[in-house]
Amino acid sequence: MLILTRKSGEQIAIGDDIVINFLEIKGTQVKVGIEAPRHITVHRQEVYERVREENMTAASMTATELSLASEFYSHINTKKEET
Amino acid sequence: MKIKTTRFGEITLNNDQVIHMPHGMLGFPDSQRFVIIQNRENSPFLWYQSLDDPELAFVITNPYLFMPDYNPQLKDGVTLMSWQMDGKGFLKTLDVYVVVNIPRGAPEKMTGNFMGPLVINPLCRQGIQVILSDDEYSHKIPLGQQRK
Repeated sequence: MLILTRKSGEQIAIGDDIVINFLEIKGTQVKVGIEAPRHITVHRQEVYERVREENMTAASMTATELSLASEFYSHINTKKEET
Repeated sequence: MKIKTTRFGEITLNNDQVIHMPHGMLGFPDSQRFVIIQNRENSPFLWYQSLDDPELAFVITNPYLFMPDYNPQLKDGVTLMSWQMDGKGFLKTLDVYVVVNIPRGAPEKMTGNFMGPLVINPLCRQGIQVILSDDEYSHKIPLGQQRK
């Protein structure tokens, strides 16, 4: 891993078209601005990881789970219409 | 065309049913072609079956059944797809689904990932899993509750 030290207001260039701006450093927080082409996706790592992990678990669903979920769904919503 | 799947055996489908996902689903970049399968009648849950991996299928559902005011900011994610944005109503023409997780034997604990909606453009049959930029919606919204 390349490790660089930057001050507030300084930048890092990645390749020809990505620039990271270190806008503000306050205590333990850093405010970062990212300039990148539109086809590059930029996310907070933890958000990305959450969605990826949900996909990983979801990919192992079986037909049994879907059947149970369908029955459960119609059960709770039929009950509601009766009341 | 005929496709092999582990859950449904061999299925036959038309080319115009195929949904192309150039970025894949997050964590599964190698599967880029999918099809929506309605496996049970009168169920809000559908299968999103990969055509590139017979084992890969997600349970998806319509988020608005569970959260009528769901209003994700799709614009940034959709920009990646270079879909033609014609007018303000454009985002309304897109189909939005969420991926569902159903714990084994406990359907009442099922959740939907409202943080990473699956967005499909029915006009060009392309899809993308959008990751919402801020913490607008949880990745584990409970679905085992009565419709509002």
